[in-house]
Amino acid sequence: MKSFKQSFLALAAGVVMTLTTHAAETVKVGILHSLSGTMAISETSLKDVLLFTFDEINKSGGVAGKMIEPVIVDPASNWPLFAEKAEQLLAKDKVSVVFGCWTSVSRKSVLPVFERMNGLLFYPVQYEGEELSKNIFYTAEAVNQQAIPSVDYMLAEGKKKFYLLGSDYVYPRTTNKILKQYLKSKGIPDEDIVEIYTPFGHTDYQTIVAAIKKFASAGKACVISTLNGDTNVPFFKEFANAGLTSENCPVVSFSISEDEFRGLPAKDLVGHLGCWTYFMSIKSPENTKFVKDFLGWVKAPKVSGIDYTVSGVDPKGRVTCSPMNLSRMGVYLWKQAVEKAGSFEVDKVRTALIGQKFKGPAGEVTMQENHHLVNNAFIGETLASGQFKIIKTLNGVAGEPFSEKFLGK
Amino acid sequence: MLLMLTAVAWVALARPVSAADFSPRTNLVQAILSEDLAEQTQLIQNLIGAEDPMVQQALTAWRGGSVYIFETNDTKVPFLLDGTIDANSNAKGIRIIDGEPLKDADGRPLLFVTTDLTPADASSKVRKLIKVALDLFALGNANPKMRRDAITKLGQEQNADYLPHFEARTKIETDKEVIQSLVEAVALTQVASEDAKVRVAAIQKLGEMRSINSVSFLKQIETDARKTPDKFGPETIQAAHAAVLAIDSYMAWGNLFGTAFRGLSLSAVLLVAALGLAITFGLMGVINMAHGEVMMVGAYTAYVTQNIFKGWFGASGGGFDSYFIAALVASFIVAGLVGLVLERGVIRFLYKRPLESLLATWGVSLLLQQLFRHIFGAANVQVSSPSWMSGSYVINDVLLAYNRVFVIGFAVFIVVGTYLLLTRTSLGLQIRAVMQNRAMASCVGVRTDRVNMMTFAYGSGLAGMAGACLSQIGNVGPGLGQNYIIDCFMVVVLGGVGNVFGTVSASLGVGMTDQILQPWLGAVMGKITVLGAIILFLQWRPAGLFVTRSRSLES
Repeated sequence: MKSFKQSFLALAAGVVMTLTTHAAETVKVGILHSLSGTMAISETSLKDVLLFTFDEINKSGGVAGKMIEPVIVDPASNWPLFAEKAEQLLAKDKVSVVFGCWTSVSRKSVLPVFERMNGLLFYPVQYEGEELSKNIFYTAEAVNQQAIPSVDYMLAEGKKKFYLLGSDYVYPRTTNKILKQYLKSKGIPDEDIVEIYTPFGHTDYQTIVAAIKKFASAGKACVISTLNGDTNVPFFKEFANAGLTSENCPVVSFSISEDEFRGLPAKDLVGHLGCWTYFMSIKSPENTKFVKDFLGWVKAPKVSGIDYTVSGVDPKGRVTCSPMNLSRMGVYLWKQAVEKAGSFEVDKVRTALIGQKFKGPAGEVTMQENHHLVNNAFIGETLASGQFKIIKTLNGVAGEPFSEKFLGK
Repeated sequence: MLLMLTAVAWVALARPVSAADFSPRTNLVQAILSEDLAEQTQLIQNLIGAEDPMVQQALTAWRGGSVYIFETNDTKVPFLLDGTIDANSNAKGIRIIDGEPLKDADGRPLLFVTTDLTPADASSKVRKLIKVALDLFALGNANPKMRRDAITKLGQEQNADYLPHFEARTKIETDKEVIQSLVEAVALTQVASEDAKVRVAAIQKLGEMRSINSVSFLKQIETDARKTPDKFGPETIQAAHAAVLAIDSYMAWGNLFGTAFRGLSLSAVLLVAALGLAITFGLMGVINMAHGEVMMVGAYTAYVTQNIFKGWFGASGGGFDSYFIAALVASFIVAGLVGLVLERGVIRFLYKRPLESLLATWGVSLLLQQLFRHIFGAANVQVSSPSWMSGSYVINDVLLAYNRVFVIGFAVFIVVGTYLLLTRTSLGLQIRAVMQNRAMASCVGVRTDRVNMMTFAYGSGLAGMAGACLSQIGNVGPGLGQNYIIDCFMVVVLGGVGNVFGTVSASLGVGMTDQILQPWLGAVMGKITVLGAIILFLQWRPAGLFVTRSRSLES
C-alpha cells in the first residue's frame, strides 16, 4: 500500500514537473509557409527543414536553454491571408520570431504587420531587393549575389548577347531592369539585350524559341531565365527540339534549384546553368552532415525536447537546396543572437544579430548591418541527376539590396 | 612567341622523353601540369588535329573537371577515372600518358572515389581553348549534325587558322548539309580577310547561299566599310549591301512560313483540346466544367502507360518508343469510361437544367483534381517523349518540331474521324437526330438515352486523347485541365455552339492571330489582345462564327 502511495506521489510529482518545465522552458517560433495552394510544392520543403533545424537545436540544448516550440500556420498561397496569419502569430501566439514567406508579394503583404507589431521575420528565398525593413532579416540571395555573378560569368565566357526571359511578375521584372542597366554599364549595346515576359502557366514557347534561335544564330548569345515553376518544362522541351543546346546558347535559370527538379525533367536541362549560394553537391563536412541528417530525419520526423507531433513530411526523393539552407542559417543566426543578447526581445535580438557569423554547409555567413548576408555564391552546371556540378565559386559576396549601390550610381 | 616555343621545347627536352615519344599525349600531360596560361595555350593548340582518341577523351574530361592529379614526392601524374565503379564506388585511375592503370608499390591498381579527388584546374580561358580544340576534333565526329554545329560555330570565330582544317575536311566530307556548312564557314572566315578580292567573293558567296548565320557579320562589315571606305573599297560595300538585302528578304519569307507553321501548330493544340468539348457542349448542350479534368485523366493514362512500357522494355528503344501509340488508345478508352460514368451518374439527371449541370460538373472537376493529387502527388509527373517525337525537321531554315507536326496530323485525323462518324455511321445519324430534335427522334424509335451516353463517352474519349497528346507539349499535373478549359470554351463559343466546323475555324483563327501578334506585342499583350478581339466579335455576332439553327438549342 505504501509503495503504491509512494509511486503515485512520485508519478504525480513527475507529471507536475514535466508540465512546469514544459511551460517554463520553451520559446515559441512561428513558421509562415504555404502548405496548400500553388506555392505548397516549394514552401512545404522549407517548413520541413525548419522543423528539422528546431530538432537539431533542441537536441543540443535549445536556444538559451529553452526548447523551441514551433507554431505552424498555413497561409494557403493567399497573399492577404499571409498578413492575417502573421498578425495571429504575433498577437495571439506571441512568437519570438517568424520564419517564412516565399514570394515577394507575400513578403510585401506581411511587412506592414511586422513593422506595426515590431515582430521579427527571416526571409530565405532569392528576391529582387530594393527593400529594407528593420523587422526583416533577409538570408535570401540579393540580386548581386545571384543575378550579377551569373551575368559576370557569362561575360567572362565571351557572351555578347543576352536574352532576358521571365515570368510576368515583380521578381523577374525588377531583376531584369537591374541586369539591363548592369549589362549596359559593361558595354553591351541595347540591341543585344532582349527582354521578354510570358504569363504564368504559359505553354506555347514556339515563337520565343524561334526568336532565341535567330538571336543566337551569330553565336555568343545566352539566355538569362527567371521563368517560374512548371513553365520551364514546355520552354526547355521547345528549346531542345529547336536544336539549341548549352553549347550554342546556354540558359542560366535563377528559379530552378534541386528541389524544383523533383518535378522537372532534368535531362532537358543538362548543361544549363544555375547560380545559388548553396548547392546540395557542395563538398564540406558541414554539408555532408546536413544532407545526411536531413535525409535521415524525413524518414522519422520529430522535434525533440517537446511534446510535438510532426505530420505531412514526404520522405520520398528528398533533396536539399539553397532556400532550405538559408532557412536553416536564419534559425542558427537567430539562436546565436538571442544567446548574445541574453534576451528574446526583438529590439535586443536585432542589435545582436548584426555581425553574427555562422559556419554553414556552404561556408561562413555573416549578417551585415543592411540585414543581408555575406555569403559564398556558386555557379553550377545541371547534371542529368538533377544535381549541380559547381564550376565557379565566388567567396564572400556581400548582399546588397539596393541596386544603385552596386551599379555605382 | 619564339621564347615560349623554346621554353616548351626545353621542357620537352629536359624530360627524359625521346623525340619519338613527344606525342600529343605528352603534350597534353604538360598542358595539364603547366601553370602558365601562355604555355598552356600553345600546348593545347598543338593538340589540334591529333587523332588519338585518348587525347580527345582526356581533353573532354579536363574541361568537365574530371581529370585528377596523382602526386607522389616529386612527380605529378594526371589521370582519369575508369568508367567502371565497384561496389564501394571506387574506380581505377587511368594514366593519360599511356592509358595504363595507376599502381601502388606492390603493383596493385590504386582505387579512388570521385568525391575525395580534386580536379585539375581548368580556368575559363583554358576551357575555351579546349572547346576550340574539341570543336576541331568534332570535324571528324561520326554524327553529321554535331559536325555541322561545330563547323558553323568555328566559322563564326572567323579565325583564318581554321581554313586548312575546313578545306581538308571538305575533300573527304560526304554529307551534303555538312559540305554546305563547310562552304559557309570558309566564306564567313574569308569575309574577315585582308585581301579585297577574296573578301568580296566570300561576301557574294554568302549572299547567294542566303546564309542566315552570317547576316549579322555582313551587316557589321557593311557598316564598317561605309565608315572607312578607303580601307575596304567600294566593291565590298556593294557586295555586302546586296548580300544583306538578299538574305533579309529570304528571312522575311522564312519568318512568314515559320509564323504560319507556329500558328497552325497552336491552332492544332487548341483544336485537339476543344474538339471533345465541341461534342459534349456544342452538340449536347452540357456545360461540362470537368472537360479539362477528363483531359487530365487522359494525360495521366499516358503517364501510366509509359511506366508500364518502361517496365517491359526499359527506358529507351523501339519497344518503349511505341508506348505513345498505346497511350493514345488507352487514354481514349479510360477517359471514355470516365465520361460514361459521369454521364450515367450525374449528367443524365440534369439535361434540362443547364445551370445545375454547370455546378455539378464543376464539383466533379474539383473531385477529380483532388483524387489525382492524392494518387499521384501534387507535383507534376514526367511523361517523356518517344525518340521519334523529339527533334525537328529544318526546311529552308524553318524549324518543324516533330511533336508539333504530330499534333497537327493528329488534329486532322480526329476531325476527319469525327466528321465520318457523324455523317457516315448510323450512330452519327442518330446523334444528329437527337441533337436536332430529341422528342421527335425519340418518337421515331431512337433510344435517345443510349445515344446521349455514347455521345458523351465519345466526346470524353476525344478529350482523353487530347490530354495524352498535350503531355508531349506541356506539363502533366493535377492542374492540367485548368490551364486549357478557358481556351476550350472560348474556341467552341467563338466557333458557334453546335457546329464542329465552327470549332475548327475558330481554333485556326485564334491560333493564327495569337502567333502573328506575339512577335510584336509579346506573349502577355498578345493573349490579352486576342481575348479582347473575341469579346468584341461576340458583341457583334453573339452566336459565334457559324450559327446552327436547331430546336433543342433554341429551347
